Amino acid sequence: MSCELVERDLDTYLDGELDTESSAAIREHVRTCAACHRQFAGREALARLVRGAPYYSAPHRLQARVLAQSTRSSSVRRLVAWAAAAVLVLSVGSGIALWGPASSRGNAVADEVVNSHVRSLMANHLFDVQSTDLHTVKPWFLGKLDFSPPVVDLASKGFPLIGGRLDYVGGRTVAALVYQRQKHTINVLVSPVGDDRSAGDLAVTVRGFNVRHWIHEGMSFWAVSDLNSAELGEFANALQAS
Amino acid sequence: MRARVFEETVLPHLDAAFNYARWLARNDADAEDVVQDACVRAMRYFSSLRDDNARAWLFTIVRNTWYSRGSRKGNVADATPFRDDGQDQRADHALDPEERLLQQHTVALVRGALERLPVDFREVIVLREIEGLSYREIAAVVGVPIGTVMSRLARARERLQTVLTLASHTESLR
Repeated sequence: MSCELVERDLDTYLDGELDTESSAAIREHVRTCAACHRQFAGREALARLVRGAPYYSAPHRLQARVLAQSTRSSSVRRLVAWAAAAVLVLSVGSGIALWGPASSRGNAVADEVVNSHVRSLMANHLFDVQSTDLHTVKPWFLGKLDFSPPVVDLASKGFPLIGGRLDYVGGRTVAALVYQRQKHTINVLVSPVGDDRSAGDLAVTVRGFNVRHWIHEGMSFWAVSDLNSAELGEFANALQAS
Repeated sequence: MRARVFEETVLPHLDAAFNYARWLARNDADAEDVVQDACVRAMRYFSSLRDDNARAWLFTIVRNTWYSRGSRKGNVADATPFRDDGQDQRADHALDPEERLLQQHTVALVRGALERLPVDFREVIVLREIEGLSYREIAAVVGVPIGTVMSRLARARERLQTVLTLASHTESLR
């Protein structure tokens, strides 16, 4: 691969949007070409800097206002619906029907996994045990489950473990391990294969969340996050390699 | 029922919506107004959410709300006073005071550089680097072809790299 091509495709590569073959060619070139390596390192450093920019979370009062709006508009809707007898109910119902099949088109378990993720974030019930120390998190699961989930810290790969909890997915209790990447939370739900009939690797998007599934040493893993698909893939690889 | 489905689908992305709006508006008050309006619209158009990407869908609505408010001011930095909110909680408390100061200083530099980017460049950087959207998702939110997303990203990065390299260079001369 020529330096011009590397320069052209460098951003696409770093954004995780380049095909596997060209990505390998870039990695190979950058290893041997000092000039391109400098360029590469510069762009990587820039990305790290920019990702450290402030993340502005929604103020609580905004959340409260939006919730109030949602409740108000739905009760108004109910009143109108009663009065207009079923006409509006039908249209609201069909709205949900249109939306429903789209979300169940993927995997039913993936849907449940996303629900679990959303629940954990919204109810502020992310942890039963909050610790960055895996020697605290691992024993916490002892006796609470009929299996022992593999607990590893991936802080060195940029995904620190921040805690764990029990969750309920697919009709059984599962171990939920919580990791973080910058401001993004990653939930990993682990249970023994066997209960989970989902076949091997899967990468889908459900309601704006990226979901990955894989099976490793007899355990079924579901990772879910609002992190982009490429970085969630990186996370999945790091977890499988550990 | 509908309210609950809405809350479960849209509210988890409220932080992301606010972050995007805050980077567009560059101040809290406008960002809050934009997100609140956007949520009202989102509720109204909720049944138009056909695919599974509620986050990108909400970003699109936030963006349209922002532009329809005529909020697009000049491209130069506004006079938002410096606030260090959100930085303390990000600061790694394992760092010693000097390192922490340096980290906060770097964050302020990056924030300033981002805020001075023209909004067309700023939003693609925020969506890509901070919100982690794919090229395809950004193209859908911004309403331009993927090629335009790529060229805007490239130009934004060139500018940022120049500004930030210059800043750190000036620092070291001091």
